[in-house]
Amino acid sequence: MPEVNSLVNEFLIKLKKRKIEGSKATAKLTAEVLRSFISQKRLPHTNQADALIEAVKAVGEELIDANPVELAVGNIVRRVLHIIREEDLSLTTAAVGGLSLSAESDNEDDVDQDDHPVLSATAVAAAARSTLRPPSLQTLLEDMPHSTAVPQTSSSGGDSEGKSKSADKNLKTRKLKHNVIEAVNELIQDISTCHELIAEQAVEHIHQNEVILTLGSSRTVTEFLCAAKEKKRSFRVFVAEGAPRYQGHALAKELAARGLQTTIITDSAVFAMISRVNMVIVGAHAVMANGGVIAPVGMNMVALAAQRHAVPFVVLAGVHKLCPLYPHNPEVLLNELKSPSELLDFGEFSDCLDFGCRSGSPLLHVVNPAFDYVPPNLVSLFITDTGGHNPSYMYRLLADYYSADDLVVRRRSAS
Amino acid sequence: MWYRSASCILDKRRNDTVLIPETRPATSSASPMASENPHPQQKQNPDPHISLYYQTRAAHHAVVTSDWLAQAQAAVGRHRDDAVSDNSSAGGEESGNAFSVIDEFNNWRKQPDLAEAVAAIRALASVIRSSQATTMMELEIELKKASDSLKSWDATSISLTAGCDLFMRYVTRTSALEHEDFNSAKSRLLERAERFGEISYKARKIIAMLSQEFIFDGCTILVHGFSRVVLEVLRTAAQNRKLFRVLCTEGRPDRTGLRLSNELAKLDVPVKLLIDSAVAYSMDEVDMVFVGADGVVESGGIINMMGTYQIALVAKSMNKPVYVAAESYKFARLYPLDQKDMVPALHPIDFGVPIPSKVEVETSARDYTPPQYLTFLFTDLGVLSPSVVSDELIQLYL
Repeated sequence: MPEVNSLVNEFLIKLKKRKIEGSKATAKLTAEVLRSFISQKRLPHTNQADALIEAVKAVGEELIDANPVELAVGNIVRRVLHIIREEDLSLTTAAVGGLSLSAESDNEDDVDQDDHPVLSATAVAAAARSTLRPPSLQTLLEDMPHSTAVPQTSSSGGDSEGKSKSADKNLKTRKLKHNVIEAVNELIQDISTCHELIAEQAVEHIHQNEVILTLGSSRTVTEFLCAAKEKKRSFRVFVAEGAPRYQGHALAKELAARGLQTTIITDSAVFAMISRVNMVIVGAHAVMANGGVIAPVGMNMVALAAQRHAVPFVVLAGVHKLCPLYPHNPEVLLNELKSPSELLDFGEFSDCLDFGCRSGSPLLHVVNPAFDYVPPNLVSLFITDTGGHNPSYMYRLLADYYSADDLVVRRRSAS
Repeated sequence: MWYRSASCILDKRRNDTVLIPETRPATSSASPMASENPHPQQKQNPDPHISLYYQTRAAHHAVVTSDWLAQAQAAVGRHRDDAVSDNSSAGGEESGNAFSVIDEFNNWRKQPDLAEAVAAIRALASVIRSSQATTMMELEIELKKASDSLKSWDATSISLTAGCDLFMRYVTRTSALEHEDFNSAKSRLLERAERFGEISYKARKIIAMLSQEFIFDGCTILVHGFSRVVLEVLRTAAQNRKLFRVLCTEGRPDRTGLRLSNELAKLDVPVKLLIDSAVAYSMDEVDMVFVGADGVVESGGIINMMGTYQIALVAKSMNKPVYVAAESYKFARLYPLDQKDMVPALHPIDFGVPIPSKVEVETSARDYTPPQYLTFLFTDLGVLSPSVVSDELIQLYL
C-alpha cells in the first residue's frame, strides 16, 4: 500500500510545516487520511479489530507527533479508534446474539488460536460492553466474565464446517472494515456539518437588540451570528480585532456585508466596552477535558472582563474540538510561538533583533504565542453540535465519544 | 442518623431530642457493660467520648508494622477493646445475626490495610454465609437488617455506610442475579464480596496512576492527614522518579501528619513538617494540595479530617489546585448543608495542660469541604470534577 503511505507522509509533512491550520480542516483531513489508511489496510483473519486498532494507533501516533499543538488530530484518531471498537462490538453482539453458524465457528476458531475458554454469548457481549463503557459506581461490583465461562465442548465444531467457516470469516472481515469506513464517513460528515448544527441554535441564545462581543474570527461564530440575522433578529456586534493576526477585520467586513450592525474595537478596549455587552460569543481552538478552553491569544482577557461584569461567556465548539486530555501547564505546553513578523516589521527593528547584534545576545525579544488558556470557571456555556453544555458536563460528552483505553495513543513499547 | 435534605432537619431535631437520652445513657458513668445496657440489641460505644471510627484509627496508629495483620488476627479477642468483643459474644447468643455482623465488621476493621468499606462488605458477606434464607427476598431482608444495624452502630464512619449501601444496591438491583437459582446467586454474591478487597486495592493503584501526570517535576505538594490513597499516590510518584517535595501538616490531635512524614521519609521524599496553623504561611510555595477523604458527598464536596476545609479555603484564595484522592466506594448519599450538618465524629484533644472544666473544647474530628474549593477528585472511575460525583450517585441509586 505505497500510495497510502505516501498519502500519510504528505499529510505528516503538511502538518509539520503548519501548512494545514484550523482545527476543522485538520480534523477533516485526518479523518480522510485515516479512512483511506483503513480501506487499504490488509487485515489478518483473526482479531482483526485488535490489528486494526494497533495499526491506526501507530499511524495516529505519528500524526499527533507531527503537530502536538493541533489537538484535533489526536481527537480524530481517538474517535476513529472508538469507532473501530464500537463496530467490532456490535458485530460480535450481532453474531453471538443471532447464534448463527458463523458466530459459533468464529468463537471456536478463537479457542483454537488463543486457547481461551469459550464464553457464553451474554458474557462476551457484557465483557465487550464493559470495556467500552467508562467505569462507574454501578459496575464496580459487577463481574468479569470468568465466572460464566462455559466448557469448550459447547460448540461442537466438525470438519464439515471448515469451508463455510472461512467464507464467513471473509465476510466478517469485509463487514468490519466496511462498517468502520461507513462510520468514519459519518464522522467526516459530522465535522463538515457541525457549523450548521451550531448555527441552528443561534436564535435561542441571541435576542432582539442585544450587543454581542467577539474576538478574532471563527467560521463557527460567523455562521452563528449570520444564522441569527437570517431569523430576523436585529442585534449589534462588537468585534475585537484579534491582534496580531487581525482576523477580526475580515469578520467585521463579512458581517457588515450581511447587513449586521458591526463595531470594531481594539483588543485593549475590551474592558472599556464590556459593560455595554450582553453576551460574549467566541470560537475555540480546543476544549479540554476539564472544560478549559484553548483559544486564540487574548481570549483569557476577554473572559476575565466578561466575568468581572457578569456577562455570559459562550464558547462555540464542534465536537471534534473536544479533547479528552487534561491541560497541564497549558500556557506553555499547548501553545505555539508564531513568527515575530506578525508583530514587527523586521526592517525597522533589525538593529536590535538577533542578526543586528554583534555581541551575540539580542536585546530585543519578540514572543508571539498563538493561544490562550481559559480556565473552565470563566466559561458560562459551551454550544456544540449536540446542544448547550456546562463546562462541568464535558466529561460526559467525552465518555460518549472516546473510549478510556484510547486516551493514551502512544503505544506501550514506544514510551 | 443522616438526613438528606433540608426538610429533614426538623425531623432530625425532633428525633434527636427523643433519641439522645435513650441511646446515650449517662455518659458520665464508667464504660457501660452489656449487663447494664438497657437496649441489648443496640450495641454501645465503649467510650462515648471518642467516635468508634477514631478508636480503630487510634489502634492502627499505635502499631504500624507489616506483620500487624497477623498479630491482629492472633490477638482478636485479647485486643484493647476486648470489652466490646466480650459484650458482643455474650449478646450474640441472645439475639443472633445483628450482633455477629458487628463483630465480624470489627474484626475486619482491625486490619490496618483494609478499608472500612471492605470490612463492611466482608461483614455482610459473613451474613450471607451464615444465613438460613432459602429465597432471594429473605436474604435481602436479612442483609438489610444487618446493614442497618451496622450503620446505626457506627454512624460516624461514612465509608461504612457507603459500603453497605453499595453492596445492598448490588444485591437488590443486579440483573445478573435474577436469572440464576438461589444457591448460585448466593455463591456469586459471596465471591463478589470476597473480591471487593481486591477491587479496593486495585482502586488505589488506579488512582495513583491517574494522578501521576498531575505531579510534575519540581513541584511542592501540601498534604493533610494520613490517607492511604495519598500515600500510594506519592509512593508511585517517587517510584516513577519524579522530583517533588512534600509539606506535611502535623495533623493534630492524632498526629496523622507525623505518621505520613515518617512513611515519606522512608521513601526518600524530601518532606517538611508544618504545624496545622502554618498552612497559610507556607501556601505560596505550594503547587498543589493533596488530601484524602473520609467520604465524598453528593454535592461533590468531601468530609475529611478537621482542617481540610481551611486548607482548601487558603488554597482557593491563593489559586492553588486542591486534589482529592478517594476511592469511588467512599461516595456517600449525604448532602451536608453546612459544617454542623453531620453526625459529629468526636475525638479527644490532648492539650498537655489541664483544661478548666468551664472551658468548652471542640472535639469534632472532621469538617466538610464544599465542592467549589476542590479542583479534581481522583477516583478509580477517573479524574472527576466535583459535579460528576452526584451524577455517579444518581446513576447508581436512581
